[in-house]
Amino acid sequence: MVNLLQNENMKIYRRLRTWILVGLMVAFVILVNTMEWHFDGKKAMDDGWKVTVKQEIQQWNRALKQPNLPDENKKYYEQQIAVNNYHLEKDIRSTDGTMWDGINGSAGLMIVITIFTIIIVGDVVAGEFSSGTIKLLLIRPASRAKILLSKYISVLMFGILLLLVLFVVSIAINGILYGFKYIDLPLIKMNTEGEIVEKSMILNLWKTYMYNGVSTVIYVTMAFMISSAFRSSSMAIGFSIGALFAGNIVMELLQRFDWSKYVLFANIDLTQYLVGSRPFQEGMTFSFSVGVLVVYFLIFNVISWLIFTRRDVAA
Amino acid sequence: MSSEPIISLVNVTKKIGKATIIDDLTFDVPQGEIFGFLGPNGAGKTTTIRMIVGLMSITKGKILIKGKNIKSEFEQAIRHVGAIVESPEMYKYLTGYQNLVHYARMVEGVSKERIDEVVSLVKLENRIHDKVSKYSLGMRQRLGVAQALLHRPSLLILDEPTNGLDPAGIRELRDYLRHLTRTEGITVIVSSHLLSEMELMCDRVAILQRGKLINVMPIQQFIQGNDQSQSYLIQATPPEQALSVVRQIDGIQGVNLTQDGLLEVNADKELIPDILEELMKNHIRIYSVQLVSQSLEDRFLEITGVEQIG
Ligand SMILES: Nc1ncnc2c1ncn2[C@@H]1O[C@H](COP(=O)(O)OP(=O)(O)OP(=O)(O)O)[C@@H](O)[C@H]1O
Ligand SMILES: [Mg+2]
Repeated sequence: MVNLLQNENMKIYRRLRTWILVGLMVAFVILVNTMEWHFDGKKAMDDGWKVTVKQEIQQWNRALKQPNLPDENKKYYEQQIAVNNYHLEKDIRSTDGTMWDGINGSAGLMIVITIFTIIIVGDVVAGEFSSGTIKLLLIRPASRAKILLSKYISVLMFGILLLLVLFVVSIAINGILYGFKYIDLPLIKMNTEGEIVEKSMILNLWKTYMYNGVSTVIYVTMAFMISSAFRSSSMAIGFSIGALFAGNIVMELLQRFDWSKYVLFANIDLTQYLVGSRPFQEGMTFSFSVGVLVVYFLIFNVISWLIFTRRDVAA
Repeated sequence: MSSEPIISLVNVTKKIGKATIIDDLTFDVPQGEIFGFLGPNGAGKTTTIRMIVGLMSITKGKILIKGKNIKSEFEQAIRHVGAIVESPEMYKYLTGYQNLVHYARMVEGVSKERIDEVVSLVKLENRIHDKVSKYSLGMRQRLGVAQALLHRPSLLILDEPTNGLDPAGIRELRDYLRHLTRTEGITVIVSSHLLSEMELMCDRVAILQRGKLINVMPIQQFIQGNDQSQSYLIQATPPEQALSVVRQIDGIQGVNLTQDGLLEVNADKELIPDILEELMKNHIRIYSVQLVSQSLEDRFLEITGVEQIG
């Protein structure tokens, strides 16, 4: 199994295409962060943060006075006010105008990771068929299931590589742009017991990565299934990236139907359960979505496996 | 030599949709034999090979390799097999060497030395570290043979192995296959529609047509045909006189004069000395005697009939 994985990795990393994608990832992170810094971040770099924090408190206080404010929103505003007050009392900077502003913002670039990993995964099975190499691959004493699994793992590892690139490059570039001075800035938030706590910024960053990573894994698994079922990389890549962008639009049209909460795209974005956001439909919970995603995940993998291990290879 | 066949096919049938592509194939290949699959385009040679190596499912019947069922004991059965199925497609973006490393990792016990050994065997030392995308067809074929031999298989299956090889390469392959069967007792199955190639390479051939096994026979028998009587061309002068002399000999099946003035005689081999003696007694000068064997092509067409492909 380790050998098979080594093989799959060799086939990914000995290709120029792979390194072009990695290079593009680096370029994207640098470009997006530099633009952000240029248009936005530079202004907030010195002590101006206190002014902003105070302005925010005033805004939320005003919002609290609105009539008919839902409980949920009220609680959210109160929490934010408490957090901001804590910043002022302890003289702990907000992330505004520090490297963390850029780093946390860069987590949004995980969509690029999803797209690039789909490009690799679309070809990983289909490519063996279109080049005919599948014939020599499958006549070895290794079961088809193991070969398929090693391909799947190798692709997920590529996704993790891109995530590490995102992590390292976003820290480096934002450090260079904003300075590394506030690298140990804590994250201030209110825990479930209502106490204000200081948390590690890095840990929080990885938590965001993981939330976003769930959708990456699901899209990649879907593309993997299409790649092994239809043996067409363009179909796998086209359909999966299409779904990535069109999913939300489709869901808006379907929202009025009750059953739509079981659709993959209604659940794929777990950040909808973070504070300050609303779930796709009333009554959907985090564990509901996780459950739905697990079911889809299993279905996709079982289909890939059934088709790949059974099909006649006539390529 | 063990009497246990290396591979046996038992009532193997393949259906795709409604079409029966392979119809009830049964044959064994013993150890150390070079066995040929002969058949016109679309006869089902490649399909049979795909089933043997587990790329295609078997609709009915079974295939045993060294007693292991390719379907239910795939890993144990395929371990003994090295194969090229149609053209040997390699990873073009890898070097020849990296391709071999890739396949070496998939079986146990292939050392670095073994890789070097097969590389020199197929004479690719100078180009093995080039990308396969820069290889010629013949070089890719050689690399294909190298990957098939890497794990010292007991059964080597080559589908149209001489495709793209130059005459020297074909000869080398032939000699090498002979060498492997003699010294290591390896068994080889080759498919081809080039009859002349089969003649030089194989011990036995199976003739396949429209998915059916027409016949399995030793290549000598295939070339010569079943009947013992042969035809001979005799150059003798004067020819007319020779013709009338030969006509009178007992046991001659037929004799006539060709357009070139040669005597064409159909007779048993044992009768030839008598014929010559009789001619000499009659003071007829004999310049040459030649055995006419049917060409392999004629023989092949005779067996399969002149039919449409498929
Ligand atoms: N996937 C498939 N679906 C339907 N029919 C097929 C399929 N693959 C092969 N066939 C048919 O099976 C028959 C045998 O094909 P096969 O490739 O085994 O022939 P072959 O003897 O190798 O011929 P060639 O000398 O041209 O290589 C052909 O009639 C072909 O059309
Ligand atoms: Mg063929």
